[in-house]
Amino acid sequence: MASTQITDEELFSQLKFYGFSPGPVTENTRPVYLKKLKKFLEEQQQQQREQRGKGRGGSTGAPRPGRHDVRRLSSGRRPGLKSSVLGFSSDESDAETPLKRTALDYTKRTGRNQNQPPAEANRKAALKGDSFPAPDGQPAAALGRGTGNRSRPDGEELSDEEEPNSRPVNGRRSAPLSSSKLAGDYSDSEEEEVGAPGGPEPDRRSLELRRISTAGPFGPHADGRGSRGKNCSPPGSRSMAGGREEDGERMRRADLEASGGSGRHMFPRKPLYVPLDPQSRPCENNHVNSEEGPPRRSSAGTRQRFPAYRSPAPGGFSNHSPLPNHAGPKKKVSAPEDDLLLQFHREGQGPSGSFSAHYLSMFLLTAACLFFLLLGLLYIRMRGSGAPGGEGLIKSHPFGSDFDASYDEAEREVILKLLLSLHDHLAVVAGHHDCGDQRFPNRSLSREKVAEYLEAQDGAFKGFIDVSLEWIIRTNQDVGIRLSGSDDPVTDVSEISWLESTHPRMPFACRFRRAFLSVVSKVVLVVVVVGLAWSAVCYVKHRWRREEEETRQMYDMVERIIDVLRTHGEACQENRDLEPYLPIPHVRDSLLQPQDRRKMNTVWNRAVKFLSANESRIRTETQTIKGADFLVWRWIQPSLSCDKSKVWQGKAFPLDRRNSPPNSLTPCLKIRNMFDPDMEVGDSWDVAIQEAILEKCSDNDGIVHISVDKNSKEGCVYVKCLSAEHSGKAFKALHGSWFDGKLHAEVTGSLWAVLPD
Amino acid sequence: MSTTSQKHRDFVAEPMGDKPVTALSGIGETLGKKLEDQGFDKASVVLGQFLLLKKDTEMFTDWLKDASGANSRQAGSCAQCLKEWCDAFL
Repeated sequence: MASTQITDEELFSQLKFYGFSPGPVTENTRPVYLKKLKKFLEEQQQQQREQRGKGRGGSTGAPRPGRHDVRRLSSGRRPGLKSSVLGFSSDESDAETPLKRTALDYTKRTGRNQNQPPAEANRKAALKGDSFPAPDGQPAAALGRGTGNRSRPDGEELSDEEEPNSRPVNGRRSAPLSSSKLAGDYSDSEEEEVGAPGGPEPDRRSLELRRISTAGPFGPHADGRGSRGKNCSPPGSRSMAGGREEDGERMRRADLEASGGSGRHMFPRKPLYVPLDPQSRPCENNHVNSEEGPPRRSSAGTRQRFPAYRSPAPGGFSNHSPLPNHAGPKKKVSAPEDDLLLQFHREGQGPSGSFSAHYLSMFLLTAACLFFLLLGLLYIRMRGSGAPGGEGLIKSHPFGSDFDASYDEAEREVILKLLLSLHDHLAVVAGHHDCGDQRFPNRSLSREKVAEYLEAQDGAFKGFIDVSLEWIIRTNQDVGIRLSGSDDPVTDVSEISWLESTHPRMPFACRFRRAFLSVVSKVVLVVVVVGLAWSAVCYVKHRWRREEEETRQMYDMVERIIDVLRTHGEACQENRDLEPYLPIPHVRDSLLQPQDRRKMNTVWNRAVKFLSANESRIRTETQTIKGADFLVWRWIQPSLSCDKSKVWQGKAFPLDRRNSPPNSLTPCLKIRNMFDPDMEVGDSWDVAIQEAILEKCSDNDGIVHISVDKNSKEGCVYVKCLSAEHSGKAFKALHGSWFDGKLHAEVTGSLWAVLPD
Repeated sequence: MSTTSQKHRDFVAEPMGDKPVTALSGIGETLGKKLEDQGFDKASVVLGQFLLLKKDTEMFTDWLKDASGANSRQAGSCAQCLKEWCDAFL
């Protein structure tokens, strides 16, 4: 292309012609601007073609080569079929991430490459016509080219960009590449470009076919898209042809091809993102499953869809073509959408299943509750009817064998029946009384009433009342009847005046009610007690936390006050006009915001108290300022000379090439002026110095030995490192730093055979 | 990009001085080596290129992808980093 021989000035002016304001065209910026210029040119061409295409009513020359392509494709792609299958095995892991990335890139490039594909497509279509006669030769060449560029990481973005550029290059394979740099950079895309004819699977082929067969205004688009390599088919074939590592790229292409195949290029790119995913899935499925037998059916299924649309498409390249083309892509889109819907339906059953699960759990819960309720009721009922019923079952009685001996059976039976009825009656009376039933104001029955009742029950009882009562008295066991009289305990029948039941039988509702009430009252009691305890604990915790918070605030305030005073003190040292003390209210007002002052009042007071009690560097005194008496704080500057810590105090001069050698010559360093041997007091100052040096060179792991020469007048410290490089690093770290008020410079290059110890 | 990495923040926080090209956000060891081979051994030289392209992030991204083989994300991150640096210090 002519642009390759364009001069800098021409490039500059051409760019300006397109309304773009370029920077200087230098050797570095030249390729960028060239690309830009090409983009502008293509845009222009594409616009022209659009206009032309509209004029001709939708059929241009472009579809014709497309048709040729179809035929050539079908012949040329078969051999590559098998190989395309094999390469996909390594794709699966890469499938996901590139998908997202491709979508991202895709949307990112919407704005820029709006109208490019058609322009490219036209060229590509022509290209394809040229290149097809030798489909087999090309993949081989592509292989060679591709392996050469293996080292390029992530060239996919690049290749996307450069494809438009590479296409013309690709078409004229015989013609040498115009600029070596372009070739070097763009050959990736070229390789993909070339690999396109190499064998994809039949379904992809049909995809391509259908895509290509979409004639009319979509034709160039389809081709353009396909040629951009964003197809299921070409990437596959490419990867197979090249055995490329950039599988992700292929998957990406797959997505984009799918969307390309949908033929919606005319619409803004952004909506295409939506069909991207559903489109990708069938493509992906095809890819991923390609090596397995059964999914072949799916590919066959997709294949089925396409031939249906192939027939109408070649049929009408005139005005009718847009319609089937529209239908085609729409159907293709709807097919994957059907898949999607199917998946949703399956998932929809999930929610309904979960609904039934929800109901089931509720049902189970209520069933359990009911069961327990019934159990409780049953228990109560059982308790209620404690006495054995039945008339003929009075076999066991508590009266002992004497009873049996004294009376014969009929009498015995009568007596026992009497006693039983008496017992029941008394129980009922007592129960009703306990329940608050107004019919029985007394719990016990008088003897007369008892006699009355028993005679009313059975006439035969009459004679045996006394006998039975006597027996009751005689027995030691509890028969459920208590006899009371004027003096307790009753010993004679005549003394009995009152009979009372000890086992009252209450009506069921009453019993239940009482049980319920007792239970509830007990539970409430327990809850109340627990609640009280818990609230007490909470309160205590809250108080404690608040205390802590306040203390922390107080310390924080103290620190701030100290800082303020210290800075003020230092400012006073420099500036003799300032008073060396600060009034307390002034400090408070400067530290606290007006709205906080009332809130923080307690904190402030505590801080003040703390300072006056515990802080030795601040003295509280009363001063007269401008006629008013204030309580002031005076910062007392502590003397630093008694501070024995060896500290590094920054660098005196920046380390640059002037005052530091480029690299160290030896592994040993001598540091001067680290200390003054006369002034050092204490036992372990040399250890402190060593530690300080180690700390300064904390990232340097090559320090072997540090030796402090205690007797040297210069304050020398010798540092031996593992290698010259390490010593250089240490040098850089230490040189020119202030240490303990002394600037020490280092000398390197001294070689010691023996280190003074 | 709405979120910035620590590297980005570190670079934009102060004058770049003599920082190596790997101090740029998005430029790692590999890319840095490639750039150095082409002569862009310091971040300031890359800044020079950015300024030559009139601080156009798109063009710079393109150039960076060509020159070093960076992907879109890395190049975009670098461009953004330089742009912010320029906004702050230039």
